Amino acid sequence: MIWHIVRKEIYENLLSLRFMLSLILIISLFAAGSFIFVGKYRQQSQDYWEKTNKNLADLSKSLGRLNDLAFFEQQIFRKPKLLALCVEGHEKSFPNYVRFNIFSIGLPEVKSSVNFTLPHFSDVNWVFIISLVLSFVAFVLTFDSICGEKEAGTLRMMLANKIPRYKVLLGKYCGAMLTLCIPLLFGLVVSLIIVITSHVADVSGLEWLKILVVVALSLLYLSVFVFLGVFVSCRATCSANCMVVLLLVWVGLVILVPSLGRTASNMLSETPTRVELNRKLYETERQMWDSSDKFGKNAGNSYADVNDPRMNLPARARLYNALTNAKNGIIEDHHNKMMAQALTGRNFTCLSPTAVYQRASEVVAGVGIGRCTDFYRQAKRYQMNLKEFIRSKDAEDPDSRHLIFDEDNSRGAFDWRTISKRPVDFAAVPKFDERDLGLGQSLKLAVWDIGLLLLFNLVCFAASFVSFLKYDVR
Amino acid sequence: MIWKIARKEFLLNLMTFKFAVGTILCVILVIVFVPVLAKDYLQRLEEYNRNVTANEAELRKVMVYKNILPTVYRPPNVLSVFSEGIEKRLGTSAKIPHFDVPEVSATTDEVNPYMSMFPALDVSLVLRIVFSALALLAAYNVISGEREQGTLKLILSSSIPRHHVLIGKFLAGLMVLIVPVTIVFILSLMLLLSFPMIELSAANWAGIGLMYIASLIFISAMYNLGLFFSSLMKQSAISLILGLFTWVIFVVIVPSGSIYLATQISPLESREKLQAQREMTIQEYRDKQREASGKFPNWRGPKSDAEGAFGMGYTVVCDESCLHDSAKAYPLMQSIVSNYSNSIWRLELSRFDGLLKQKHLAGNIARFSPVSMYENVMSILAQSDFGSFRSFMDDTRSYRDEITEYIRSKTYNFSSYSYFTICTEEDAKGYKKNIKPFSESLKSENEQDRERARENFDKWTNGIMARRSPLDLQDFPRFNYRPGVANSIKRAIPDIALLVIVNILLFSLSFVAFVRYDVRSD
Repeated sequence: MIWHIVRKEIYENLLSLRFMLSLILIISLFAAGSFIFVGKYRQQSQDYWEKTNKNLADLSKSLGRLNDLAFFEQQIFRKPKLLALCVEGHEKSFPNYVRFNIFSIGLPEVKSSVNFTLPHFSDVNWVFIISLVLSFVAFVLTFDSICGEKEAGTLRMMLANKIPRYKVLLGKYCGAMLTLCIPLLFGLVVSLIIVITSHVADVSGLEWLKILVVVALSLLYLSVFVFLGVFVSCRATCSANCMVVLLLVWVGLVILVPSLGRTASNMLSETPTRVELNRKLYETERQMWDSSDKFGKNAGNSYADVNDPRMNLPARARLYNALTNAKNGIIEDHHNKMMAQALTGRNFTCLSPTAVYQRASEVVAGVGIGRCTDFYRQAKRYQMNLKEFIRSKDAEDPDSRHLIFDEDNSRGAFDWRTISKRPVDFAAVPKFDERDLGLGQSLKLAVWDIGLLLLFNLVCFAASFVSFLKYDVR
Repeated sequence: MIWKIARKEFLLNLMTFKFAVGTILCVILVIVFVPVLAKDYLQRLEEYNRNVTANEAELRKVMVYKNILPTVYRPPNVLSVFSEGIEKRLGTSAKIPHFDVPEVSATTDEVNPYMSMFPALDVSLVLRIVFSALALLAAYNVISGEREQGTLKLILSSSIPRHHVLIGKFLAGLMVLIVPVTIVFILSLMLLLSFPMIELSAANWAGIGLMYIASLIFISAMYNLGLFFSSLMKQSAISLILGLFTWVIFVVIVPSGSIYLATQISPLESREKLQAQREMTIQEYRDKQREASGKFPNWRGPKSDAEGAFGMGYTVVCDESCLHDSAKAYPLMQSIVSNYSNSIWRLELSRFDGLLKQKHLAGNIARFSPVSMYENVMSILAQSDFGSFRSFMDDTRSYRDEITEYIRSKTYNFSSYSYFTICTEEDAKGYKKNIKPFSESLKSENEQDRERARENFDKWTNGIMARRSPLDLQDFPRFNYRPGVANSIKRAIPDIALLVIVNILLFSLSFVAFVRYDVRSD
């Protein structure tokens, strides 16, 4: 019996004006978004490789001596991702660049030609279309599912039969979900065809899997809205009122709650400022220099002649290393504070399933704020590896004093020979390569969000189920 | 008769469920948003005042004209509570060095770049999203609903012309929608004024008044859209769905899509290229400067002996040849600077013009949606748009010229000694006598001798410093940035006019549709 209802619902929906409008709108959005994505991705990849190759070329030029390699400032950029087709996660306004040598690493910066006079906007990608437009279509398809039938009088007739109420409810739900799947799948297929035929990149097996997970998440998300639509339809007296309520619910969940993030993070957490960061760095540096004798006699002084008996190089190295560590700690602390501020707002917005869905798909696709922190973390790990590499190479040179510290390269490393001056083999030098998280790891990170989406589903299902059981069909 | 219809509709609508829910939602949102936004404004105001005071304090410490390096600050705008625009993303300060290439920077980066994932929040967001939906909901069944109920037949069977019915319905809708708009504005104002620190100037009041009028025009446009769909379709459900789809396109798709398209159609010139160009010009300038300074071997350049105001040093005392050379060198340097500062300024402006071009393109594409037009009008009226920032930049530029002129007039075209030193002709004569024992002592092995000679010299220079007092800068021009209301109104006119045209167009369309409307029920 349940399939009867589902079939009837689908046929009815397919012939309706709202379905046709949604289908046209959604497919054209998917197509337009993908066309633009292809062009943009091509451009981004080209820029990325240009900059990365330049960095490598500069690196190979600095390989004359090991000490130059230690002080060489590498500039690395975030890789553009093919899965930005699914979800972009505000990456274009996030820092995408970091500069470091083996001693210090700066804060990640935004290095792209972003027009700051334009309001922040989201690319028209899958998650944008699904979270904003398809969720709305879900409401439009379900707003009269119960109260509309009541108004038409057909609900009475249906329930006069021997069919249990939950089957009617599930039938309505499945009908709406399957109808929603049609524009969704069409859109996805169109989008994938455009991307694959344009040959911008090969979609790897892992990427296919991730795409499938994003699609599953999308269905989970849309199901919340279908249940919610059915629930409000059970509670409303007439279908017009039901649409009013649903529209306001939609505005609240999809637009207003996600916009409250900034307010929430401003209220709940402190804003880390550059001025404060610079003040801290300056004070720490001054303090260290003032108490430089703590690291050994004459640690704070240097003399023109390295063999001057007053020169105490090991103490100086300790001082410099302590200074570098303290500064790096302050910068890391600042970065963590910035993250914490943004994440506070983000967690607050998770009152809305839209925000949860966006976050979950960002994690699965490996983009967004989590990916930015991961990029920074990988850069730091690479910095450590490089330092280890230099340390091990340095250990092989008997002429070096084996004191790796951040004193000006030409003076400390070159004149005083604190680091080896031997040439290095370019092939042996570790190079930075940004790695994606595996599917298992991404899923592990997204598990809370998936759980939340399931919870939303469950709550909305329970609410609609109870409301429909108690529904007065007269 | 029009009034009868309008009154009946008005009263009917006022009692409806949708109206109540919409209004309550708006009230709650305003109560949540406005205090947060007002506090944010106060925070920025405090910072602004602190900065301006610090700047004044530095000005009082200036010993030589060369050290005048004030920073100007852009005051925060109280109307940003209504429409934030891009106010918070633009630079709030500019350093004005008269002797060097100006660095008028629009600091683009937010304090925390990760916060850019949240959209801006202001009162106009509530107005443009909730009210536009409310207007559509109020209008969708005005004609088609009455047809379904059969009452339209009854009305038209009396001797009342159709356009009277339509005008009556339109007026009624407008009257109903004025109520929540007015509530939102009054409530926001009340909440805003409940902060004792916030004061509204006459210009602010004018801005708020205009924003109110613009909101009404916008709401009426959205109502007309609903009215058009209602008189086009026979069933109210279909007019509702058509209206809602159009709404989603206007609210969600056009604003994002237009920017997306604009950034693809006219991509920005790469910043590195402009940066390189800028660096090249600066390099050229430095070369010229070096070349010129070669003519004055005794000029000490920007070297300094004492800490002055604005973190700049100055010369306390030097010998006569240095004094004379410097008096000739500075006017020449100044003429080089003014040439190059102009070309660098033009480079800076060309970057902004590139940004502006993209923004205009996005704006023009977005004009497809009345919601974007309204957003634009609101940010112009709240003076939080890019045009207002541009006028800040122009003011900064003319302030720099003003300062340069002031210093020129005070220092005989930068040739007076007071431009770079507190040393007088007589001090310069004494310089040789006093520096001699000091420089001779440097050769001596005895540390005590060196110490004593240094002390003597320091005593003498300190004596000179003690005799001088900071410059009297009572008549120094102060920066006064007052964005004109007249100017912003001028910029807002095209969009307001467009909104009015949309109103007229949609109303005439609904008129045509309604005149041909078939009132018979199926």
